[in-house]
Amino acid sequence: MSALYAGLAEIFEVDESEISPAAELAAFNWDSLAIISTLALVDEVHGVLLDGQALAKCETVADIEALVAKETA
Amino acid sequence: MQPAPGGYRVEGVRLAGVVSTVPARRLENQAFEDRLGEAAVADVAKMTGVQTRYWVEPGQTTADLCQAAAERLIERLAWDRASIDGVIFVSQTPDHALPASACLLHGKLGLSPHAQAFDVGMGCSGYVYGLWLASCLLQAGLKRVLLLAGDTISPLLDPDDRATAVLFGDAGSATALERDAAAAPLHFRLGTDGTGATELIVQDGGFRSPCGPAGGIAPTLKMDGNAVFAFTLRAVPALIEAVRVDAGLTAEDVDFHLLHQANQFMLRHIGKKAKAPPERLPINIGKFGNTSSATLPLLLTDAVAERLSGEAATLVLAGFGVGYSWGAVAGRFGPLDCAETLYL
Repeated sequence: MSALYAGLAEIFEVDESEISPAAELAAFNWDSLAIISTLALVDEVHGVLLDGQALAKCETVADIEALVAKETA
Repeated sequence: MQPAPGGYRVEGVRLAGVVSTVPARRLENQAFEDRLGEAAVADVAKMTGVQTRYWVEPGQTTADLCQAAAERLIERLAWDRASIDGVIFVSQTPDHALPASACLLHGKLGLSPHAQAFDVGMGCSGYVYGLWLASCLLQAGLKRVLLLAGDTISPLLDPDDRATAVLFGDAGSATALERDAAAAPLHFRLGTDGTGATELIVQDGGFRSPCGPAGGIAPTLKMDGNAVFAFTLRAVPALIEAVRVDAGLTAEDVDFHLLHQANQFMLRHIGKKAKAPPERLPINIGKFGNTSSATLPLLLTDAVAERLSGEAATLVLAGFGVGYSWGAVAGRFGPLDCAETLYL
């Protein structure tokens, strides 16, 4: 998941060390722009398109990873 | 790879020239900061790429912009007005509920009574639909067709909705197409996913929910940006690949991929997925915003005008969005007799 973490760090404009499974998305300004960027990031890294509404409901980085795991399963 | 079903090949149609028009009122991003806040405007600008846009004044319509474009185009091409057999007006912002704006424009442009004129209510994909319809008319026997495409979305914007308020611009265009046996073939692909209709919508102002003078409802554009974005990523790279295969082209064969200017971030992402290098995927949303059905003519008359005026180029044009609807055309275009942007 390191490419995902690096991408999320870039989207949230924070250091990669701040991205962990337990990290709360609300702390990173989890707005519509961040969600769109994350859709594109996951598409690029994993080649899957997440459901935008499901992604918007994610609260932590682990939630995003779970969503990706579900889609790539 | 074998072409997938749904592709159409058109022969003997030449694109002679294009003129785009933008209205005089130019707005910088700062104009939105009072209402939306500096940070929000900066965020949206970073994502969408929009720096300036041109908006109509009250009373100025898409038909006005297209009329100015058509007058200029007819003059530049020195076309006899009696030689024009058809006018297609592609827009979601017509002058009236009825009659068709194409009929009004037919009168204002002084065209011949034998010329057919009709409206097509399409947006982001509308320019490709217009090229397709014009090509079909020419194949059916018409000799010259004017395609007038544009939109004035600015009066439909909610000034407090950052997702749309900053994004859209107004523009019109006129494109001249004519029958020419020597023209290179064009390959079209068009499609629809009507289940996405409510994701980008102006709910009121039609007959399902009319807006009377006393009705108190201002028709407003609503967009679910995430849903539209996901649709685009799903549909557009595959559309581009399919139309290139139809035309026997690889990504490297294409001089320019001209994509509907929806959002800069999205365009860059699509470009990567469709293997279209940035130098062959011009982006001018920064100057004009998202102008709906006018973004593709604005690329032709702005971003690649110089190249197309001098020589032919292999192009893929793709429009996609509201509907959901999409269309792409691939082929050899130019040299154009006229490719010009008018600032009214």
